[in-house]
Amino acid sequence: MIGDQLFFTGINVLLAWSVYLVLMTGSLSFAQGTFMAIGCYAAGVLTVKFGWSLLPATLVGALLSSVIAAVVGWPALRLRGVYLILVTIGITFCGRVLLENVEYIGGVAGFGGMAGASLTSVFIAVGFVGAALFWLSRSPLQRSFDAVREDDRVAASLGINVPVVRLIGFCGGAFIAAVAGSLFGHYMSFVRPESFDILLSVYVVLYVVLGGVNNMWGALLGATVMTLLPEYFRVLAQWRPSVFGLAILLMLLFKPQGLLSFRTLSSRWKKA
Amino acid sequence: MLAGQILNGIVTGSMYALVAIGFSLVIGTLDKLNFAHSEVFMVGGFIAVASVSFLPWQLALIVIFLAGGLLGLATEFLAFRRFQTAEGKVTAALASMALGLIITDLVHKVWGTEPVPLKLESPWLQSGHTFFGATVLNLQLVILAIAFLLMALLHILLQKTRMGRQIRALAESTVSASLLGINVRRVTQTVFFLSSALAAVGGLLVALRGGAASSEIGLSFGLKSLAIMAIGGMGDLRGALVGGLLIGVLEALMFQMGLGRLVEMTAWVTLFAVLIFLPNGLFGGGIHAREQRA
Repeated sequence: MIGDQLFFTGINVLLAWSVYLVLMTGSLSFAQGTFMAIGCYAAGVLTVKFGWSLLPATLVGALLSSVIAAVVGWPALRLRGVYLILVTIGITFCGRVLLENVEYIGGVAGFGGMAGASLTSVFIAVGFVGAALFWLSRSPLQRSFDAVREDDRVAASLGINVPVVRLIGFCGGAFIAAVAGSLFGHYMSFVRPESFDILLSVYVVLYVVLGGVNNMWGALLGATVMTLLPEYFRVLAQWRPSVFGLAILLMLLFKPQGLLSFRTLSSRWKKA
Repeated sequence: MLAGQILNGIVTGSMYALVAIGFSLVIGTLDKLNFAHSEVFMVGGFIAVASVSFLPWQLALIVIFLAGGLLGLATEFLAFRRFQTAEGKVTAALASMALGLIITDLVHKVWGTEPVPLKLESPWLQSGHTFFGATVLNLQLVILAIAFLLMALLHILLQKTRMGRQIRALAESTVSASLLGINVRRVTQTVFFLSSALAAVGGLLVALRGGAASSEIGLSFGLKSLAIMAIGGMGDLRGALVGGLLIGVLEALMFQMGLGRLVEMTAWVTLFAVLIFLPNGLFGGGIHAREQRA
């Protein structure tokens, strides 16, 4: 029981980090549920139908997911503003319809037979992704991310290739989400297309916002608290969408700058 | 049969257009995405269920219009007033999404998660005429008439009245509009009132045609209208109308060709195609659409 809860916490932390990576480049993604589904189904097909072991199947599924993200996201990443949000919503709906209509992976009935993921594998994945994000936060790439997010026109004038930086964030997010999806599938051993609907993607974005988007620990905190709390407070589980929405609204209202005010460059240099 | 399907598509399309115009109005004047809009649209159907039980449907229409408008004002107050800067764009989108979650949850708590039947004791609405071998129900004609009447009124309001001029000025530039003595807050409230009122009436029409109010349509029909808004061109009302009719007819044709299972994808695949080939949408979009180009 407690193992299950810790497992789902780990999955949600991975998903929250995948949203955080996209958010760092200044865009919002509501397609993380679908990238999770792609990772889950791709890795599942490799382990169940081709007899691969979990690790290579997960990596191949994650690569596939980030390639799909690159192909579908590119037209929108070239544009500014809300278009990427629309495209990610589109990915979610199209992905659901496609999964439901391909008989090879079970269609509406679902796909099963995967096994092999355990609590340990999730912890290893969280550790690896966390280490990678920590390394990223100290790398030059992070400064490109910051520049693109704060003002993409200035960033472009400084010679940063804005669409490519956005693409790196978006594909990286898709990769992490697909890893989470693969582990989820191999733990549950049976998934259906409706396990990955739009509400899942919305909730994951809200985990990150609730925890604070200033750094990777906010996403970790938000996902952990919001996964574990409803398990222990029945009222919270019953009124989950309302409590959740209210919490977000109150936080956004009482921090007028918005939680989206990332650490400024100057404060980071002072710390260093 | 084909003519009947196309007429069906036009009826659906006019409802898409009604909701998409609301999205377009807000994004055209304020450059912000209002995710609560699709949930206000969904609530429209439920207000219809509640009000037709004691009012004739013509009066219920007015009640729904006003209730939707008030919800729009609430949306503006809760999710948009505090986030007026350009950086607030994502924050406002998230806040309105949180509001949408709350609205949906409250509807679930009051009416349950199953669709609620909308009963209308009117044999006249269900009777029809036959043109060219296709049966046209009076209900379909009423839906078309209401949708197009509202869109025409909105067009007149925007082009011919003082408030319309102020809304268009706000769309050009908030700062210059306020320097010219326009009460920006009042105009913003008007925009939200109008867009949400139209959405709520759209919810009534969808519930009327389907015979039931469902809490699912906010996330399916509502978000599809968002795609249609982008297909037509952000902030362009003609675009929303043409895009809505286009998607409505395309969906009907897909049903006709036996591709019913892929219908949910139509709007989104069209959106991908439009973004690749015509990044500004069919009509080039309003001022803010040009702003979106890198």
